[in-house]
Amino acid sequence: MINLAGRDILHGWGRFLFTGVGLGLLIGVTLSMAGIYRGMVDDAKVLLGNVGADLWVVQRDTLGPYAEPSNVRDDAYRALLGVRGVADAGNVTYLTMQIQHEGRDVRVMLVGFEPGHPGEPGSLVAGRPITRSHYEAIADERTGLRIDQRVRIRRHEYTVVGLTRRAVSSGGDPMVFVPLQDAQEVQFLKDNDALLNERARTAANPAFNRPGVPGLLEAVQASQASSRTVNVVMLRLAPHADEAVVAREIRRWKHLEAYTRADMDEILVAKLIATSAKQIFMFLVILAVVSAAIVAFIIYTMTLAKQREIAVLKLIGARNRSIAGMILQQALGLGVIGFVVGRTAAALWAPVFPKYVLLLPGDAVVGAALVMAICALASVVAIRAALRIDPATAIGG
Amino acid sequence: MSHPAIEIVGLAKRYGTGDAAVDALKGVDMIVQPGEVVGLIGPSGSGKSTLLKCLGAVIEPTAGRMALAGETIYDHGWKVADLRALRRDRIGFVFQAPYLIPFLDVTDNVAVLPMLAGVPNGRARDRAREMLTALDVGHRARAQVQQLSGGEQQRVAIARALVNQPPIILADEPTAPLDSERALTVIRILNEMAQRFGTAIIVVTHDEKIIPTFRRIYHIRDGRTYEEAGEARAA
Ligand SMILES: Nc1ncnc2c1ncn2[C@@H]1O[C@H](COP(=O)(O)OP(=O)(O)O)[C@@H](O)[C@H]1O
Ligand SMILES: [Mg+2]
Repeated sequence: MINLAGRDILHGWGRFLFTGVGLGLLIGVTLSMAGIYRGMVDDAKVLLGNVGADLWVVQRDTLGPYAEPSNVRDDAYRALLGVRGVADAGNVTYLTMQIQHEGRDVRVMLVGFEPGHPGEPGSLVAGRPITRSHYEAIADERTGLRIDQRVRIRRHEYTVVGLTRRAVSSGGDPMVFVPLQDAQEVQFLKDNDALLNERARTAANPAFNRPGVPGLLEAVQASQASSRTVNVVMLRLAPHADEAVVAREIRRWKHLEAYTRADMDEILVAKLIATSAKQIFMFLVILAVVSAAIVAFIIYTMTLAKQREIAVLKLIGARNRSIAGMILQQALGLGVIGFVVGRTAAALWAPVFPKYVLLLPGDAVVGAALVMAICALASVVAIRAALRIDPATAIGG
Repeated sequence: MSHPAIEIVGLAKRYGTGDAAVDALKGVDMIVQPGEVVGLIGPSGSGKSTLLKCLGAVIEPTAGRMALAGETIYDHGWKVADLRALRRDRIGFVFQAPYLIPFLDVTDNVAVLPMLAGVPNGRARDRAREMLTALDVGHRARAQVQQLSGGEQQRVAIARALVNQPPIILADEPTAPLDSERALTVIRILNEMAQRFGTAIIVVTHDEKIIPTFRRIYHIRDGRTYEEAGEARAA
């Protein structure tokens, strides 16, 4: 037996192909949305995996530092180093801000860290680690910054000495790593005007500006200007320490919250990304419905246009099953074209997206199965119409 | 003793029920011998198409008897289990318009019939080409149906009706869209095929040009048949 569906498709391939491509672009959008979600999850993994930390110690009763603001005194690390099982500690600050680069505004996450301690950026793709204690920066390549470029962050100019890849915040902003004290200054220090104001106010306060106590005013002003907090203290544990035990110890004695890597994973993926995931899921549902409607419409139209041929085929002995099979195959054919176009389109336009788009083969397989199921479902209307066609109508009235 | 190809006795068909009922056939008697081409003539609404549909096993009569080559297929109820196979293997259809399938080429339009009966593609196409050659359209075997003239399309349609070599062919106004020369050609072809394959052919028509060509004519009026020897017999 010849493949009636295939012949029909070849006969009217233009309309079929255009529909398939249109469907394909929809599927491409769908796959990209899934890819963006996967990218976000993967970014979170990179964010957590790159810093060489086993425990994240944050302000009590917060889900910090990524999902909620958290402030920890910057001398807390000393006490934490005293906890059994803790091998190393590093203060880290995070601040989302705009920087100017080559006339463009770039939104970045400024990370303050202590070189040589947890929180330090992982492998660099270019350049070297920070060696000076001030005004050197390691930037993610997504910022557009290059080695040896100078970038102004608030009051100071920094020299870019190293580049990272895929160091982005959970919001997708590329990171710029600077020494902790510089970051604290940026984060907690006011700009010049605010500072001058503050100084003037302090100077006008007789409690601080005592003629008889030289140096007091300066000391107060300095303490106001510099920060004494960080957002998180990252801990590296000794080889055989049990992270759950250490975390429990810290919660109990230090009035701080301690999260393991798994906890942070859970917070980032289940809490922070959850809203995006729901949004993406809604889009997927809508796109599925739209795709189904398109396939149903085109297959139904194609079937109605073939009423006479179907009546003749039935009259000369074609089985209902063969007719239904023909229509189903056409719907699945649309699905195949759509999927191939969609997968290709998604791969082609993924690099253009500002966010990382991770197209997993597993998602593609699930996507293909869904597309086929939707197409099969969409052909039901047309199949029912075809089965109702009376072979007697082939013989005139 | 050889059986007639078609034997119809007291066939009746009522559409609908109650007040809406229409008695389209009230008592049709008809006998057609193998190799015979008979005309079926009657005014519009007289029941011609209804008779073809009953004989073509796409609608069920309400009373009477029908037999093909001595085998009863209907006797107050169908006597064959698989009407689809009956249509496929034992009845050829020629319609008012060719009703070819536009997405198949000429050969496959004909070959699809043996294919539906389970004949392998290669052999089905061989048979189709043979039949197309017999109908003088062998040179068009590879063409698309849209490339054929109306007369050529009708020949292809006849080839399709004949390709499974069914004992009977039902033709519903097969010459309606054709000019008189082509109409007469189609009738000539049907006669030749009837001779050659021993096929019994019923041609429904009210085409004045071709009526004289039938040796035997059934008139149908108001759901009843009346037999008449055609003019061709006298000639
Ligand atoms: N499906 C149907 N339902 C009800 N009445 C029908 C149907 N088909 C035909 N008829 C009626 O049966 C009669 C015979 O119709 P038909 O066999 O089509 O006649 P012809 O083909 O000779 O013009 C007409 O009165 C017609 O209205
Ligand atoms: Mg009619």
